[in-house]
Amino acid sequence: MKAFIAFTKKEFTESLRTYRLIVLAAVFLLLGLMSPLTAKLLPEIMGSIDLGDGVFITMPEASAMSSWEQFFGYIGQMGMLALIITFGGLMANELSRGTLINLLTKGMKRQTVILSKFLTASVLWAGSYALSLAVCYAYTAFFWPGGVLSNAFLAFFSLWLFGEFLIALLIFGGVLFGNFYGSLLGCFGVIIILSTLNLFPALSKFNPSSLAAQTLNLLSAQKEAADYLPAFIICAAAAALLVAAAIAVFNKRRV
Amino acid sequence: MGDLKEYLPILIPLGIVSVGLLIASLAHIFTHKKYRVGNRALWVIVSFINFIGPVLYFAIGKGDE
Amino acid sequence: MNTLSVKNLSKSFGVNKVIDGISFDVPEGSVFGFIGANGAGKTTTMKMILGLLPADGGEIFVRGERVCFGATETNRHIGYLPDVPEFYGYMKPKEYLLLCGEVAGLAASETARRSIRLLEMVGLSNANKKIGAFSRGMKQRLGVAQALLNEPKLLICDEPTSALDPMGRKEVLDILKQIKGKTTVVFSTHILSDVERVCDRVAVLSGGRIALCGTLSELRARHKADSVLIEFASQANKARFTADAGALLKNAVSADLELTLHVADIANAHREILRVLYANEIMPLKLEILEPTMESLYLEVAK
Repeated sequence: MKAFIAFTKKEFTESLRTYRLIVLAAVFLLLGLMSPLTAKLLPEIMGSIDLGDGVFITMPEASAMSSWEQFFGYIGQMGMLALIITFGGLMANELSRGTLINLLTKGMKRQTVILSKFLTASVLWAGSYALSLAVCYAYTAFFWPGGVLSNAFLAFFSLWLFGEFLIALLIFGGVLFGNFYGSLLGCFGVIIILSTLNLFPALSKFNPSSLAAQTLNLLSAQKEAADYLPAFIICAAAAALLVAAAIAVFNKRRV
Repeated sequence: MGDLKEYLPILIPLGIVSVGLLIASLAHIFTHKKYRVGNRALWVIVSFINFIGPVLYFAIGKGDE
Repeated sequence: MNTLSVKNLSKSFGVNKVIDGISFDVPEGSVFGFIGANGAGKTTTMKMILGLLPADGGEIFVRGERVCFGATETNRHIGYLPDVPEFYGYMKPKEYLLLCGEVAGLAASETARRSIRLLEMVGLSNANKKIGAFSRGMKQRLGVAQALLNEPKLLICDEPTSALDPMGRKEVLDILKQIKGKTTVVFSTHILSDVERVCDRVAVLSGGRIALCGTLSELRARHKADSVLIEFASQANKARFTADAGALLKNAVSADLELTLHVADIANAHREILRVLYANEIMPLKLEILEPTMESLYLEVAK
C-alpha cells in the first residue's frame, strides 16, 4: 500500500511537471466553450450562405439541445483523440525507457504500476471531463435559459465510461507493445473495429462505442436508456478485463 | 452575423485558453533544443493546429528535459 | 556463507542458447567480476538473478533463498544498477531517492538520512538540478546511490563503467572500492583493467559457459609464469639467440628487440634460456618472467 501511494504520488507529480494535466484540462475547457458557441453560430453562418438565386439554407433556431449535440460531438471525437494522445505513452514510455527497473527491483509489485496508472489517468480524465461539462452547462444555461435535459446523467456517464475503456485499452496496449506508437495504433485499431460494427444497427446496443457515438440518443430520449444497458455493461466489463489482462501480461513480461 | 457583443463572454475565455496553449507550446519549443521526434520547424507548425497541435507536442515531441 | 549461488543455470532465446548450464558461488564480502564479451550473456544472467527474466533451467539462491521469476522476495537483499540506469528526468536526485525509499518501504526520515550520506559518497551532494540535465557519469553515480539505498547485502552492477569516460570510470570504481567489505558486489564488465583494480574473484563467461572461475590470486598462481620476456641489446644478439634457441621458440612472439616466449615448464625453460645466452655470450638488457594479466588469462580461455 505504501508503494502504491508513493507511485501514485509520482504519477501526479509527473502529470503536473510534464504538462499532461494542464494541457488536458485546457483542451477539455476549450471543448466545453466551443460547444455552445458552435451551436449558436452554426445557424447564422449557414443561414448567411447564399446558394445562388437568393436561396438560403434554413436551419432550426439554436437551442440548448443543439449546444449539447455539439458537446457530445466534440468530446466524443476531439476529446477522445486528446485523451488517447495524452495517455498513449502512460505505460508505454516507462517500458520503452526502462524507468521501472529501479523501482521493480526494490520490491514494488507489478500490479501496483498498472493500478496506480489507471487510477491517475482516471482522475485526470474525470477532472477534465467535469470541467468541460461544467463550462458547457453554464454557458448553455446562459444562452438558453430553461433548457431541459432528460436522461442527462446517463448520457454524461456513458461518455465517461467510454473514456475509462480507452484508458484501460491504452494501458493494456502499452504493456503489450512496450512503445507509444504500438499503444496508439492498438487503440485506434480497436476503435475502428468497434465503429465498423456500429454500421450494423442490431449490434449497436451491445457496442461500447455507442456510448461515445450515440450519446445524443440517450440525451434526447429518443431511445430508452435501457436499450443501451448491454453496451454499458460490456464497456465496464471490458475496461475491468483489460486492466486485469494488463496486470497478467505485465507479470509475465520481460522488463 | 449577429451582435458580436453577445458572444464576448464566451469568445474571451476561448481566445485566452486557445492562445495560452499555443504560447505554452511555442515557449517550450523555443526554450528546448532536443525533441523526442521531429525538429523545431515541424513543431512550430504543428503547434498552430488548434489545441490538438499543442497536445501532440507535449505528448510526443517534448524531450525528456 | 555464499551471498549468491547459481546452480546449473540455462537460458535460450529461441534456438539461441545464451546461457548453457553455468554454476558459480559468490562468498559474502567479495567483489565478484563477471567477465565476458559483449553479448556473452552477462546481462541475461543478472536479470535472471533479479527475477526480471525467467530461467529455462537451474536454480539461483540469494542468501540461501531461492529466486523465482516475477516479484521475487530475494530482491529485498539486492541493490541493482542497470547498465544504463534510467530516471524520471523531471525529478531532482533527492526526490528520486525519496520515491525509491517509499517504494522499498523505508521511513521518510530514514530515507532522507541515507540520501544525504549516499549522495555525498557518490559526489552528488551539490547537484541540485533535475536529473534530466545530468551527464552520463552523474546518472551512473546516482544509479549507485539508488542501488545502495536499501542497504543491500548484494549489489549487482551491470557494466557500470562501460559507457563512461576515464574520469567517470575512476569515480565509479572508487565508489565500488569504498563499499568493498560491507556489501558483496557482483559486477559485469568487458574492461579487464577494471577487474584488476577492484575484484577479488572473477568468472569468465564464454560461449554460454563459465570458462574460468576463482579468486584473482588463485587464477594468477594457476597460470603463473608461463611467459618470459627477453629484451636484447641489438638485433645481432637477437639473431644469434634465435639461431640457437630451438624448441624454446615454439609460441614465441617477436617484437623489435623483444622476444616473448610462452613455455609449458618454466623451470626447464629458464635453465635452457640461460644456457643459450651464456653459450652465445649474450648479455640481455632485460630478462623477465611475466605475471599473467587478466588479458592473457581471458584470451586463453575465451578462444
